[in-house]
Amino acid sequence: MAKILFISEDEKKTKQFQEILEKNSNEFYSADTQEASLDNIKAQVPDIIILDSLVKKIELKSVNKKIKSYGDNILTILLVGKESIEQELFKSANAFLQEPISNNLLISTINANLRTKNSLEMLSNSNQELARSLYQLNVLYNTSSQFAGTLDKNRLLDIMVEGMDKSLSFGLSCTLTFRSEDEPVLIISSLYQISDRLLEALKLRTILNYKSLFDKKQIPFALNLENLKIEKHIKQTNKEYDFSVLRYDNMFTPINMSENFFGFIEIYRETEFTTEDATCFQTLAQQVSLPLKSASLYEIKEKTNKKLEKLERMKSEFISIVSHELRTPLTAIKNAMDIILSGKTGVLTESMDNFMKMGRRNVVRLSGIINDLLDLSKIEAGKMDFKFSIIKMEPVIEYVKNCLNEMAKEKKLTLKINIDDDFTDIYADAQRLEQVLTNLVSNAIKFTHEGGEIGIETKIVDAKEIKYNPIFEDEFEKLHGKYVIVTVKDTGIGISEDDLARVFDQFAQIETSLSRKVGGSGLGLPIARQLLEAHNGAIWCDSELEKGSAFHFVVPVADEKNNFLLVLKQIVQKAKVKNSSVAVINIKGEKELIDRILKEKNLVNKNYLNNSIKESEDNDIILSMIIPEGDRFSADFLKKKLQGYIRTQSGIYPNCAIMYSYAIYPQDSTDDWELIRKVQESYVTIRE
Amino acid sequence: MQKKILIVDDEQDIVESLKFVLEASNFDCYCAYNGEEGLKMAKEVLPDLIILDVMMPKINGYKICRLLKYDNKYKNIPILMVTARSQEEDKLIGEETGVDEYITKPFDLDEIVKKVEGYLVK
Repeated sequence: MAKILFISEDEKKTKQFQEILEKNSNEFYSADTQEASLDNIKAQVPDIIILDSLVKKIELKSVNKKIKSYGDNILTILLVGKESIEQELFKSANAFLQEPISNNLLISTINANLRTKNSLEMLSNSNQELARSLYQLNVLYNTSSQFAGTLDKNRLLDIMVEGMDKSLSFGLSCTLTFRSEDEPVLIISSLYQISDRLLEALKLRTILNYKSLFDKKQIPFALNLENLKIEKHIKQTNKEYDFSVLRYDNMFTPINMSENFFGFIEIYRETEFTTEDATCFQTLAQQVSLPLKSASLYEIKEKTNKKLEKLERMKSEFISIVSHELRTPLTAIKNAMDIILSGKTGVLTESMDNFMKMGRRNVVRLSGIINDLLDLSKIEAGKMDFKFSIIKMEPVIEYVKNCLNEMAKEKKLTLKINIDDDFTDIYADAQRLEQVLTNLVSNAIKFTHEGGEIGIETKIVDAKEIKYNPIFEDEFEKLHGKYVIVTVKDTGIGISEDDLARVFDQFAQIETSLSRKVGGSGLGLPIARQLLEAHNGAIWCDSELEKGSAFHFVVPVADEKNNFLLVLKQIVQKAKVKNSSVAVINIKGEKELIDRILKEKNLVNKNYLNNSIKESEDNDIILSMIIPEGDRFSADFLKKKLQGYIRTQSGIYPNCAIMYSYAIYPQDSTDDWELIRKVQESYVTIRE
Repeated sequence: MQKKILIVDDEQDIVESLKFVLEASNFDCYCAYNGEEGLKMAKEVLPDLIILDVMMPKINGYKICRLLKYDNKYKNIPILMVTARSQEEDKLIGEETGVDEYITKPFDLDEIVKKVEGYLVK
């Protein structure tokens, strides 16, 4: 069955066609003037128009134009005689019938064209559906990428509802969520205003839905009309929804956070939802589940961080209190004793003098312990400031010798100094090295019997040549290259093998009765180890009971590479305290190309070169840069800029390619050595 | 004439011991036990030297120091600042306060007497 319009000025022909076509149960109507043709097309859009090309008055061109304005909806069949017809008409017709007409040919042509038309219509419908699905898919995709962009639970829910609105164009949505255990919120997103009685109905429905979700099971959080808060988002205020909206088609789904209940959503739409719509709806509700979990974990992490920050602050305050509140009374005690000991308050008996001195000795010891504690907590909090500069080891040893010579003489000990090397530069904080060496030598003095011998030696060594005690293997893993080694040897009481492993642990010595005899906090060696760690050095010892001990420490020889590593260590340490990031970027390539890149303006930020080093490897140059506050974004940005540059250079420079890699603190590693290792392992090639 | 020394510290015991050793060395000592009192006394007594504690309630040592050092009348009075070297103070030390010398707790009385003599005995 098709509507067929016949345009012809020939009455006989019209009759003939009407007869054949109506017999085949088609709806037939005709026009014999220009005006009637146009009106007929407009009044009742035909499926097929049969155009007689032999018309004289009717202007076929303009009729054809009208037909074309309906797109491909009307099929045209041109009735042609023996005369030639205009090219334009010829092109636009879907089929031709040559006169004289055969009945069978006419019917089969009509039917064939109708079939084509139907198929085209079906195709067009599926196309529209496809476009709709594609759009929904697009919304799904966009929504899920938006999910990845936030760690805020409320924002995640908003994104989900927006996504559903875009893909399903609902009229009304009700989302139940719990801001906290006792704060249920019903978020209503609606196209129009909500009437008061509808709002009450929606509230009741929400409570019913909630209770039915946990049928007979324990309800996780309390929900009732009193504690349910409402949040409304209304798009258009000119209309209002009432009860009728409840008769709309609706869909309901719970929203889970990982495996746990988080809330639910119900949406209403005037037109019915299709199965595709349902899938889209479920997918969106499921997609939000994992991001919600991440958001909740992030919330917990933030809370813990805040707690930790508070604890850290409390620790700092505690240290400050210790330092002030303990030192002040200590000073008063010491002052009082000093005054008595000076004899200005009267003459003391020998025994009084003896006990007074004992008191004073212990006050001095106590203040030493406080200083050590302060040092250790400062280092651990990353708050110790190091003043690195290029120095030599000899003056450090000289200084310590001068300070402790007196103490050694008192115990009748010989202090032997053997400096094998007095020219090598080290990159270190002289004051801290003095602190380390003072500690080692004063320990040696304390633990050596009268008449013994203490030796201080220094020389330059290669990491491979160092013979170390296997107990301290961990300390040596990081060592490579040239070092200046200092050894403090004594002929003292020694340390048993069991204790040896613990000498660098905090408070190790304090446990022994010996410490009470010789004084000291037991923190000297742990502090020494921390100080050397900050220098990228190491400390260890050998010992034999009753024969003596030898403490060794190494500091890297000052060269570009070592200085670079120390600078990285400091920058990472600062980032730890400030909670910021650091990027380490390596660029590797032929020397000429690297030099070109560096000469290029606006390519590599000049600030990046503040902390950088160039090394040669075979024919290549490796440029390493440290970027304080740098992150993945800045590293990728430089990569893109370099890519752009390489593209412009490949014509001029044959085989133009560089290797690029980066590592970020704290994402890739929180350890400076590990960062260096990662950056050396993750090169990608950049070429056109 | 005896030189005048003003000691400002909220710790009475510390003030007392400083007073004892300084008087034994023939100085005339004035004592104040908080910042306000210290500032008032500094202006009344016009001492030849001030020994000042940092951590005091209300007006701390640095504030007193700044107030005195920016006043032409008192800016030439040497100020010895006593600190307990805690973290907050470390930060402040970097600032321009006009302190002539720092003494860290616990200090040596002999050392303080020697320092005071260095400023006042020609």
